[in-house]
Amino acid sequence: MHPPISLILFFLTAGLSIGGFTAIFLIDLIKGLDSNVILITKLIATALIGLGAFSASFHLGHKMRAWKAIKRFNTSWLSREAVFSGIFGFLLFISFLIQLFYNTKAYIILDILAVITGWLSAFSTAMIYTSNRFVPDWNTSLNTLYFLVMYGFLGTSLASLILYLNGNVESTRIILIISLSLFIVGLTIRIAYNIRRYIIKLPTLNDALNLPQNREVRILDKGSTTDNYCTTEFYYKKGKSLLPSLLPPAYILTFVIPIMLLITCIAKGPNTGLLTLSLISAIAGSFIERWCFFVEGRHVQNLYYGLL
Amino acid sequence: MGIVMGQLALVIDLNTCVGCHACAVNCKEWNTQAEFGPLSDFDPYGEKPSGVWYNRIMTYEVGNYPHTQVIHLPKSCLHCQDPPCVPVCPTGATFKREKDGIVLVNYDDCIGCKLCSWNCPYGCREFDEADKVMKKCTLCIDRIYDEALPPEQRQPACVLTCPAKARFFGDIEDPESEAYRLIKERNGFVLFPSADTKPANHYLPKVENKIGIDDHVLKPDNPIFLEVLSRHKGGNP
Repeated sequence: MHPPISLILFFLTAGLSIGGFTAIFLIDLIKGLDSNVILITKLIATALIGLGAFSASFHLGHKMRAWKAIKRFNTSWLSREAVFSGIFGFLLFISFLIQLFYNTKAYIILDILAVITGWLSAFSTAMIYTSNRFVPDWNTSLNTLYFLVMYGFLGTSLASLILYLNGNVESTRIILIISLSLFIVGLTIRIAYNIRRYIIKLPTLNDALNLPQNREVRILDKGSTTDNYCTTEFYYKKGKSLLPSLLPPAYILTFVIPIMLLITCIAKGPNTGLLTLSLISAIAGSFIERWCFFVEGRHVQNLYYGLL
Repeated sequence: MGIVMGQLALVIDLNTCVGCHACAVNCKEWNTQAEFGPLSDFDPYGEKPSGVWYNRIMTYEVGNYPHTQVIHLPKSCLHCQDPPCVPVCPTGATFKREKDGIVLVNYDDCIGCKLCSWNCPYGCREFDEADKVMKKCTLCIDRIYDEALPPEQRQPACVLTCPAKARFFGDIEDPESEAYRLIKERNGFVLFPSADTKPANHYLPKVENKIGIDDHVLKPDNPIFLEVLSRHKGGNP
């Protein structure tokens, strides 16, 4: 599949926003945090989800009609993602305003709802890809799990930096342990995902043409002298050639470097440099990793063009 | 989606199709100027022309030399009876008509997210880079219900133009229709049955080409047979 950069940016910003706010919210529930930390987090999370929505709109042919995506909520995961992420951002912003201007704790109800809708949005995003049975690489619960864990480790990476910069060293240590666990779980799922890619049995051109499996069949002519929408959207030739050289750095930046930095922070105490570096590495790595995720996706319609 | 009352579809005879692309060209010609047009083209006379086509023809070779067969496969939207492109559409722009089972796109509601094409296992939807919406075969809905046309003209453009008469159109659920009869009598099959989309368009299977030779030709006293035999053996009969 051809990787849409706008959607990759949405994954990253939504992950940082939903995961980051959830982490701060939970730490506040457990340990209690200064209201300024929560306010700053809400502002950052609202800005990030807004930026993500803006970025995702570039994937659309008609941005101004994006609101119509709420119409098929009962069947479409994309519609659910749009609704839940929209509600998440809206609740977060209203909660931010209430906390800023009114001396009341009523915003906590909005925060709880924001966390719930945020994760429903994350789940919906994952299901857009997991439910697609025509890209067998994506059609696995490992994919859904990875999306959720990715949102978790991106969010906790951001939250640990916010907490440390605001002087909450003790809370930072708790988040660091959660974050490290999520990075390790994420690495395990990603390895399993890659192993699965080599194990799964893909359909054949015989399946696509409804021919017996024992008949040898090959394409002689794809019907046009140049590429078309189907051969460019579902098969990214350049990406396929770059994939072997980009997957290792994706693993190193997304998992290896953050895990090493987080272990150092837990063992020797956190510092701004290491936490910042870990966050940047996780974001850059996840960008490449999500790019690889799209290129790794093998769509069955490619069979008709002899490209699978 | 509701109950579909009938299911209009194409039935394509792979035994007759010669892969001339006339169906694709006439589809493009009709649909680029009719109600669902235009079908945008980019660099049409240049080195790398591209654009939207509802119908594309691919050619495959089946078997091993010398026992091979060539199959020309015209492929347009199959108007699946369980279309996976419909429920994923976030706006409801893609829908299946209850009246005749045709799957259509409402261009005014399409946001161009391409998710429908990602959920089509046949690659039968294309994004129009000029109009920024998804486009696909409409079974020439603007022809088949046009009462201004004579009844024999109320068929998809591809069916009317096929010089080999390899394409048929009708209600595949109506036992009175030619499409239904052809599917039943000639073992009509669908593409990618394991995708479980219940395509409405059917194909009539290619049968092996055989040259019929009358028995008398092969009789030993047939002078033509004797001549052929002598040439083959390189000597007198």
